[in-house]
Amino acid sequence: MNQPALEAIGLTKSFGGVRAVADLSFIVPAGIVALIGPNGAGKTTVFNLVTNLFPPDGGDVRFYGTSLRGRTPNAIAGLGLLRTFQTARVFPGMTALENVMAGAHRHVRVAAVAQMLWLPAALREEAALRREAATMLDLVGLARFRDTPASNLPMGAQKLVEVCRALMARPRLLLLDEPAAGLNDAETAETATLLRAAADSGVTILVVEHNMSLVMDIADHVIVLDLGRLLAQGTPEDVRRDPRVIEAYLGTEA
Amino acid sequence: MNQFVQIVVGGLLQGGVFAIIALGISLVYRVTGIVNLAQGGFCILGALLLYSLQLDLGWPTALAFLAAVILTAAFGVALGAATFVPALARLPTSSMLMLTAGLLTFIGGLTLIVWGSQPYIVPPFSGEQPIDVAGILVPSQGPWIAVVAIIIIGGIWYLIARTDIGTALIASAENPTAARFMGVNVARLTLFSFGLAAAIGAVSGAVVAPIMSLQFDAGGFFTNAGFIAVALGGMASLPGAIAGGLFLGVAEQLAAGYVSSLFANGLALALLLVTLLWRPQGFFGGSRRRRDVRDEQRVYRSVVRFSGRGTVVAAAVLVVFLAALPYLVGGALLSSLVITLILFIAVLGLDVAMGYAGQVSLGQSGFMALGGYAAAILATNYDVAPLLGAAAGMIVSLFAALLLSVVTMRLQGAYLALATLTFSLLIDSLTVGLVDVTGGPSGLVGIPSLALGPLSLGTPRAMYFFVLALIVLLIAALAGGMRSSFGRALYAIRADQTAAAALGINVPRYKVAAFAISAVLASLSGSLYAFDFHFLSPEMVSTPRSFEMIAMLIVGGEGTLIGGLPGAALITLLPTVFQPLALYKTLAEGAILVLAFQYLPDGLLGGARQLGRWAMAR
Ligand SMILES: Nc1ncnc2c1ncn2[C@@H]1O[C@H](COP(=O)(O)OP(=O)(O)OP(=O)(O)O)[C@@H](O)[C@H]1O
Ligand SMILES: [Mg+2]
Repeated sequence: MNQPALEAIGLTKSFGGVRAVADLSFIVPAGIVALIGPNGAGKTTVFNLVTNLFPPDGGDVRFYGTSLRGRTPNAIAGLGLLRTFQTARVFPGMTALENVMAGAHRHVRVAAVAQMLWLPAALREEAALRREAATMLDLVGLARFRDTPASNLPMGAQKLVEVCRALMARPRLLLLDEPAAGLNDAETAETATLLRAAADSGVTILVVEHNMSLVMDIADHVIVLDLGRLLAQGTPEDVRRDPRVIEAYLGTEA
Repeated sequence: MNQFVQIVVGGLLQGGVFAIIALGISLVYRVTGIVNLAQGGFCILGALLLYSLQLDLGWPTALAFLAAVILTAAFGVALGAATFVPALARLPTSSMLMLTAGLLTFIGGLTLIVWGSQPYIVPPFSGEQPIDVAGILVPSQGPWIAVVAIIIIGGIWYLIARTDIGTALIASAENPTAARFMGVNVARLTLFSFGLAAAIGAVSGAVVAPIMSLQFDAGGFFTNAGFIAVALGGMASLPGAIAGGLFLGVAEQLAAGYVSSLFANGLALALLLVTLLWRPQGFFGGSRRRRDVRDEQRVYRSVVRFSGRGTVVAAAVLVVFLAALPYLVGGALLSSLVITLILFIAVLGLDVAMGYAGQVSLGQSGFMALGGYAAAILATNYDVAPLLGAAAGMIVSLFAALLLSVVTMRLQGAYLALATLTFSLLIDSLTVGLVDVTGGPSGLVGIPSLALGPLSLGTPRAMYFFVLALIVLLIAALAGGMRSSFGRALYAIRADQTAAAALGINVPRYKVAAFAISAVLASLSGSLYAFDFHFLSPEMVSTPRSFEMIAMLIVGGEGTLIGGLPGAALITLLPTVFQPLALYKTLAEGAILVLAFQYLPDGLLGGARQLGRWAMAR
């Protein structure tokens, strides 16, 4: 059976008087899916509801058929649903490499006690993680920043480190909140390559992005939000031609 | 019935004082989101100034009272302008909290130098004769406390509800960023609230001084009472602070009157924990939550890592040097070195909880006491082998830590720090109060030496080598954990809990683990301390020790494991080497904490590294 990676059913959330997300239902099929919409449309709020950073006022989210209601953020990550944040949240006080390695947390098999006793199994696992993380940094052209404190990196590099960290967790579904915001053209291209490579290896990606050429370039499917509601969805071409979408974006981009 | 009313009246009086202190804490919290632990220090300062002005200089009570308040407020403003306000812009909440802990220690040290360690009691403002109200005896100080409390409460209410300053206070409490845009000078407002809180503290101290004997280190008690009051009522709620204070006062007096004063202290801890567990926003907080930008603020600090061959060589050199020390020094200095190492074990634990996981714990002295007394009592009275006794202590501490964590694992910053502070204070009162078990204030004597089977470690040199070996093993184990995924998870939690959880890290579970490790190591340290001294008294493992440990860790460098060693050495050895310094120890600890947070964020180790880099670059 071809189950969707993610299914939102009637999601609703208000902040004070503001209806940030209103009775929103959508489906994320496999592949790269873009979630777009004007500023304040509720995209980040959708991510926060899916990962249960705060509970929705109503509605449900299913991840490969499993309801995520009432699960803690770390339990949701444990199921293989990872996310990044709109403002890069690398861990200050850790190097770029350590940040990426931290992403592997849910795969660590050896117990803390084994690590404390320097048991061979622990050392092997640690070395393997280190190699994997280093390879990942190489891939995105950040090899030279490996031992730099992550918070000293330029913003673009921090966002890339955050994406690498999430990928280290080997997610089944990855939610990316504006991964290319603030990146220069070269970095944007690197991000696109990384995302395509990840998708090819079987990760489904739901990406919020304002850079339309990037969206049109990588997305298989596009979901458009406006004022917390579903405005349109379909292939990039369909969505681009949709008059409602053009109207919502009038004066911004299109 | 009469007795009941009598106790309630006493409770209301004490509660009135708690309420005033709570108001001061709440005021600063509103503006800054920081729980100012120094608040209790201002109470003591106000009371002792009143004493000196009135009794040493012979000033009339009213004048002395006014002068004590003004002097304390001026001191508070100066202290705030030099430390609290400039640090607020740069430091994360947990560091700010510890900075105020440093201020509390500093004020305590200052009063120790000026007034010594004896308790003081000020004569009541209007004669000793209690007032008889329909058969209920009200202490003559009672009306004064009531009047002062009403004036303060009314004044604060007027300030907040009716003045521009009040409007600015509310605005910056609700949204500091927006307030800044609206042209509120948050720095000046912060200083104002800090100074006002100092004045309020002085008033409460001065007014309670006639019914309570006060000495230099009582500040922690007042801070704690004030904090529990605001936690009960709701941190940023002024009516909550008042109701919380009165309730706490009455509850404590009833518990003390009908059961025992030990029970009263336990009740305070229980009240705090139950509130935090059940209604963390307090009973008056309502749903109006402060939109706290500071909570989300992440902890920025530089990366101090020891790895690679250089570290192995440096570690080997250090171990050889430490192993050679007993052949180079002896006598009092060697004994002090042993104590340094023993205390370092507890600091090592604190580093795991605080340096790595970012969980500020003021519970180290409490766990040291548990470990120390458990091991000492078992070994002395029941002939249990010392190491087994120490192990028993560690198990007791582990259970206490897990029990405490049920509540604290979901708490952050101030709440955790203060829940652990309450725990330490409770243990303090148990060690003093359970005379049959602990020997009370005069302590336990005749504790045997540590022994490994038939091998007795009775000499300082033998003890030194044993503790050193233990430390090498402990550091090796902890370093193994910290360099791996366990340590990364703790570090991630310290840096950014939300992002850590988003990676699947079970934040509460790791916090509990870190806290448990710190408790067990503190317990071990306490046991060794008792076996080394052959004597254990409450003040050897009382709450000021917790603050001392934090100073040791901060000055050495957090998150490095080894940083606590130079810290412990500095604070333990200096007073041994220069005897006259002993009096200044508390003051220095406080100053070190404050200065280290402001100017040496990575401690001596980080500072030394930076100096090395700088020298290399030339
Ligand atoms: N924690 C919050 N508290 C109050 N209001 C919020 C909160 N989070 C979001 N909102 C409001 O909800 C609405 C949707 O915000 P959201 O951040 O989800 O938009 P977005 O589509 O991600 O916008 P952008 O493209 O600017 O990132 C906005 O009006 C925002 O002000
Ligand atoms: Mg957004």
